[in-house]
Amino acid sequence: MSDLGELDRPGPPAGAAAWDMRSEEWLSGAACLRDDGQPHSRSGEEHTKPASDDAPAHGPGRRAAAADPVKALMHRHRELCERAVDPLEIAAGLEAHGVTDRTASRFRHRDVFSLAEEMYARVPRDGGTTHRPTPPAASRRRADWALLALLPGALCAATLAGLRLTHGQSRLITAAVGVLAVALAVRAVLSRGPLATKDRTPAPGTGLWTCWLVAYAVLGDGLLRVAVAGGPDGLPTGTSGPWPLATAPVLALTLACAPAAWSAHLFAARARRKLTASRGLTEFTSSVRPLLCGTFALYLCALTSLLALTGAALDEPAAYAQTVTLGALLFLARLLTAHGFTYAPGVVLIATATVEGAALATVFAGRLPGCGFLAIPVDTLVETWGPGAVPALACCAAALTLLLHANRRLTKASAHARTEGAA
Amino acid sequence: MRIGLLTEGGYPYVSGDARLWCDRLVRGLEQHEFEVYALSRSARQEDEGWVPLPSQVGRVQAAPLWTAEDDGVRYGRRARRRFADCYGELAAVLCATRGSGAEAGVDAGGTAGAAAASGAAAASGTAPTSEADRFGSALYGLAELARDEGGLVGALRSETAVRALERACRAPGALRTAREARVPELLTVAAQLERVLRPLSLDWYEDDGLGSVDLCHAASGGPAALPGLVARHFSGVPLLVTEYGVQLRTHYLTAGDAAPAVRALLAAFHGRLAAEIYRRAAVITPGNSHARRWQERCGADRDKLRTVYPGMEAARFTEVGEAPECADPDTLVWVGRIEPTKDLVSLLHAFAEVRKEEPKTRLRIVGTPSGAEGTAYLVHCKALAAQLFPDEAEGPHAIGRNPVAFEEIGGPEAPTLAEAYAGGAVTVLSSVVEGFPLGLVEAMLCGRATVSTDVGAVVEVIGGTGLVVPPRNPRALAEACVALLRAPERRARLGAAARARALELFTVEQNTAAFHGIYLEIVSQSPVRRVVLDDTGEPLPFGVPAEAHVPGRWTAPAARVAARGGPGWATGGPVRASGPVSARGGPVAATGGSVSATGGPVPATEGAR
Repeated sequence: MSDLGELDRPGPPAGAAAWDMRSEEWLSGAACLRDDGQPHSRSGEEHTKPASDDAPAHGPGRRAAAADPVKALMHRHRELCERAVDPLEIAAGLEAHGVTDRTASRFRHRDVFSLAEEMYARVPRDGGTTHRPTPPAASRRRADWALLALLPGALCAATLAGLRLTHGQSRLITAAVGVLAVALAVRAVLSRGPLATKDRTPAPGTGLWTCWLVAYAVLGDGLLRVAVAGGPDGLPTGTSGPWPLATAPVLALTLACAPAAWSAHLFAARARRKLTASRGLTEFTSSVRPLLCGTFALYLCALTSLLALTGAALDEPAAYAQTVTLGALLFLARLLTAHGFTYAPGVVLIATATVEGAALATVFAGRLPGCGFLAIPVDTLVETWGPGAVPALACCAAALTLLLHANRRLTKASAHARTEGAA
Repeated sequence: MRIGLLTEGGYPYVSGDARLWCDRLVRGLEQHEFEVYALSRSARQEDEGWVPLPSQVGRVQAAPLWTAEDDGVRYGRRARRRFADCYGELAAVLCATRGSGAEAGVDAGGTAGAAAASGAAAASGTAPTSEADRFGSALYGLAELARDEGGLVGALRSETAVRALERACRAPGALRTAREARVPELLTVAAQLERVLRPLSLDWYEDDGLGSVDLCHAASGGPAALPGLVARHFSGVPLLVTEYGVQLRTHYLTAGDAAPAVRALLAAFHGRLAAEIYRRAAVITPGNSHARRWQERCGADRDKLRTVYPGMEAARFTEVGEAPECADPDTLVWVGRIEPTKDLVSLLHAFAEVRKEEPKTRLRIVGTPSGAEGTAYLVHCKALAAQLFPDEAEGPHAIGRNPVAFEEIGGPEAPTLAEAYAGGAVTVLSSVVEGFPLGLVEAMLCGRATVSTDVGAVVEVIGGTGLVVPPRNPRALAEACVALLRAPERRARLGAAARARALELFTVEQNTAAFHGIYLEIVSQSPVRRVVLDDTGEPLPFGVPAEAHVPGRWTAPAARVAARGGPGWATGGPVRASGPVSARGGPVAATGGSVSATGGPVPATEGAR
């Protein structure tokens, strides 16, 4: 039955070193044993001074205590009184230091509660002791995610190089292995660091729809062009030919994993700092909004320059419009998911993928007898702006939607609350 | 009778608080059906599993309090407004100055303590009940929302909640500390409130859960009693709250080092939750008068309070308790866990004084250190003992030994707890801080005379059957010990009286019997009247069959249907019969009364409380 007694046991006194000092006093003979029945005037806390200082100070202290015993008690429990938020906290703390109702009667109080109330009332509160918010200690966590974020881009570049160097069956194997490796690397990047989901699982199917969007970026434009022209007559064979693969966008997107992770980290860290600094929710919101826009712009700049670089390196036309909008869409979706908003990104990704798929489907459906009208919108679009217009428009609308959504959600303080696991 | 036993971090988990008490209660009252609703405190606790459960535990519903799954429900406009109203009300109550006692005290500044105290007492006495009503209605509003719509976990973490908190903190008349709350503090408070309000989202309150029990018995206050409150609100199930340690006090002592605003708001929440629990409970059973004082302070009605002392297994001390002559007349014994609050240093110094008077005395310190601090303290005490007392030998050729012996239970000197007590004529308790002193009860059951310090519930436990001295007073402790060592007759008298007192008050049987009586009292006073509805929602006539009221467990295959005066669960007493009460009960009472008169030089404080 040893557990029940523990339940009502007051906590141990904070001064763990008390027994040390006191026993030293005893050994050195400096202790003055009281026999007048006032043992409580020596509690366990004040023995932080050396014993030699303590002994001479005893006489005057005793006189003062006789005049105002509560003052001496308050001095002894100064820290407790200053931090207490209500009288009951002082009462609990006093009891934890062994003060009982009988002790309280020596201070001319009925019980510990009324003694604590007096002490609470007498604590000077001049407002100078405001709690200074301590910025959360910059936890030097392992920044392995920062380097890991480079991995997908590197693997993708290696795969593309392999594809250029190999032929025939080995080329197929290289492509399969490369796609698998890049997928795993992206998964690893998304599972840790600033892009990781905190405690929520993203909406189901998000990964699948993302894959579809990326696949469209590689294959879609070529297929659409061929389909409008009446094809396709065979599978894509490479970066040239009737149905060309667009490899520059996918390389740029995988390389952009690193700036995405870094900007997300920047955003989270800055937002947390603003959180500590701001007094009100409105103030926080208005200070985070430019931060979000700045982070987003930073990422877009990085993506655009990467796209230009990869286009030049791979000697392909860089499809700016569709790739930048797709990158923006994916970045915003992941940023929202990482902050716990999974619903909207899921819906928007599904909608975008559906629009792109529908555009292809209408072109093919238009070949059926009597359904020619179905292909008219896409045909017109492709004739006017080229095949890249379809994904560009779809992704642009989706990215704008998500940007508005992020502007509403990510600027709220509750989005940046630390969960218990992350704290 | 079906009892819903509500626990938080306790029974039936292996590492739970008070699991032994719950286990004895459940096993002792096997004529009732128990359903255990357990909230676990950590993943580790869940992994450690449950204690074996007796057959009368019909089912166990467990839910984690340390994690919460967001069920992904998104509120519509109406539900969101409902949530904002309830949560805003809750936040407003938390931020409001409580009873104006504290603020009035601040204004009073340095006025005389008595005046401030009386003013605060008056203020707290007339604390507006409307405030308690507001807290309650906000709490039950949130519970109803969770039942109707779900999604409370997500809502409590949402921006709506933080915004409501901010508005309440900035409102005129808010607590001074709350007004200083900044955004991180608001977020922390919201997260903590979400944590403590998790029981509201549970699916325990359906008709096949807590809605169907006759009585909710919360094994502790605070979060454990929260489901009981909700069940009482939804289904009218009476609530019994047992507190061996006051949850509110525990909250204050473990509040940690958060910002003042966070601590103020959370303290306000826990204080109001405690007040609401005490207000709604049918009966509250504190474990000692100390818990009782806190409960009264927090607004518990005196008529509802019944002190039920924790019980100890008396049988294992019977042999020692019935044979007081086996004690070594020159030995003092201290038994307990070794840690700084036990103040062994005082004990050693007192023992030094004792040896000046009685040089043949020995001291046995039996116990194991708890934690690193305890180990360091033990080392320190051993060093002090070696310094104070040189080793002594019988003669020039014998090997000497120290008069202070440090032993452990299970060692050759003290194989069992009872034998540890048996070895000494006087048991000493030198703590400076103590809750309910179980070690003292053990010594009493062993029939040993005791000298203890006046801490915690010591005076209440010892009554007049032992000597009590002020804490941190080695000379008084020494004088009391010497007085007892020199008076074997008085020792025997006190020991017998202590044993009789302990057998009467602190046995498992009295604990179980008390709860049995309280269960019957509650159910007879506030029976749950249920109307059984049929599929269309109409009241079903004869939904509760007449058999439900006949004696015996009518759902069981072999119901004990007998023509007794009342229901089956009301007839028998607790299963375990009362333990063997010492035959010396009669004369002992007289000696107990005479102790204070014969207290001698010791400042005997018996019966002062």
